Amino acid sequence: MPIELRGVSYTYAPGTVYESRALDGLSLRVRDGEFVGVMGRTGCGKSTLIQLIAGLLKPSAGQILLDGEDINDKHYDRDTLRRKIGVVFQFPEIQLFETTVARDVAFGLRHFGWTVEEKNAAVREALERLGFDYEAVCDKSPLGFSGGEKRRLAIAGVLAARPEILILDEPVAGLDPLGRDAFLQLLDELNRAGTTILMISHSADALAEHAQRIVILKDGQLLRDGPTEEVFSDHAALKADGIGAGQVRETVELLRQRGVDIPADTVRYEQLLSAVCGRWPR
Amino acid sequence: MNNRLPTGLYQPGDSAIHRLDALAKILCLILLLAAVVNTTTIPGYLVLTAFTALLIRLSGVSLASALGSAARLRWFFLIILLMNLCFYKPEQAWVSWWIFRPSAEGLMQGIHVVARVFLLLVMSNVLTITTAPLAMTGAMERMLSPLRFVGVPTDLVAMILSVAIQFIPTLLEETDSIRKAQTARGARFDSPRLLEKARAVLPLVVPIFLAAFKRADELSLAMEARGYRTDVKRARKKYPPLRRRDCFALLLCTALAAAFIVVR
Repeated sequence: MPIELRGVSYTYAPGTVYESRALDGLSLRVRDGEFVGVMGRTGCGKSTLIQLIAGLLKPSAGQILLDGEDINDKHYDRDTLRRKIGVVFQFPEIQLFETTVARDVAFGLRHFGWTVEEKNAAVREALERLGFDYEAVCDKSPLGFSGGEKRRLAIAGVLAARPEILILDEPVAGLDPLGRDAFLQLLDELNRAGTTILMISHSADALAEHAQRIVILKDGQLLRDGPTEEVFSDHAALKADGIGAGQVRETVELLRQRGVDIPADTVRYEQLLSAVCGRWPR
Repeated sequence: MNNRLPTGLYQPGDSAIHRLDALAKILCLILLLAAVVNTTTIPGYLVLTAFTALLIRLSGVSLASALGSAARLRWFFLIILLMNLCFYKPEQAWVSWWIFRPSAEGLMQGIHVVARVFLLLVMSNVLTITTAPLAMTGAMERMLSPLRFVGVPTDLVAMILSVAIQFIPTLLEETDSIRKAQTARGARFDSPRLLEKARAVLPLVVPIFLAAFKRADELSLAMEARGYRTDVKRARKKYPPLRRRDCFALLLCTALAAAFIVVR
């Protein structure tokens, strides 16, 4: 399911005083099974980008191809699109509405033509993946849970459809450290199992740790695109673009300034630890 | 998928209409409405339509956004016109066929209704497009302020109004993001089938209500945390007096309303 954007532009409220250009001739290709981190300052067009890919907005110009097919073509089947792409929006907990957890998680499966057993299995799997005990929660109201739990329930509702492409907009903001790590690990697992992941985040640490490729947007255009190590190795450029490099890269930079020989493409915590331990053995 | 701005949304500008005082504008609208409902002849409607066109021209607002909701109601207008035409005065019908009895009186009555509603909509649209929401609530507060002397808590009413109006864009935005989230997981809001459309309302309405209650809760806490109390007298905001152009607009509209009432 490669995703391909060809010269995509998007303008909000064209022809009014509120007109603003969110994307400007963006071209991008995401291969199957990639884990892509999308970064950029507020207002750079990240959220517009994922809404376009998810088919929630129509580009003002350009094409978006999924598997070689234009998703905005009149004859393109929107239901396939919804099935293949799962979107976790910012603060997804607002989308909960059903009377029970099981019903809410199963909401996205209604039009799939699955049998009751298949649906139940998918719901159970999704809930267990997010750390819930299916029997304990399935008949409770989703609205009675805590904020972090609601977030996980909403994400279960997206994962239950077993999307081939998972798009996430700042999914870990506001989660506690444990929930955050568990969630990022889950993304890794899904990615290893073949799910393409596109994740927007301001957290350079999370992306450095999990994404294979980093895309940085600025003013609706592609500023940088490359393997995570490559993009994060250029510390000065990240600073100049107003994007944080993350704690690991920051530490590496300080060590390098003090003459310690650590490669500039050290971006993961494990890499940093082994470099430091190698430099100063016990 | 919805990239349309809501109709009547404030569009900042610096036209003659934008610069009028909000209180004067609301009073003018009331006077113009008086003129509209007192019109009984077609030339009368033409004069008022021309006047409305002049207002739109002066405000610098595009015709499309000024017509806004009125344009979207065109089928409604057509049906109202046809129903009046066919059923209003069956005794004096031109022809009689099945249940339809079109008459001249019916046609006239239909034109009355349609023209009035149309003018009302467009005029109020011009008001809300050219007046900032806060200026509008300020004006309402000033209009209500005499009621203070008979014990109406006008400060509270004004605060409630301004909070409500300020939250409209927020709630619209929230509605949009909820709609997108539910669409992404398979809700069918744009289905042509009525039953599916009706079923799609629930996943939208429940979260919107929850969000609105949550926001209200948070806002009341935030207001209290910053010292808002209802039991103490608040400092009153001073509004500048009406200027010459405001008085001129008021006089013009009064004259127009008076003329229409007299001619009637």
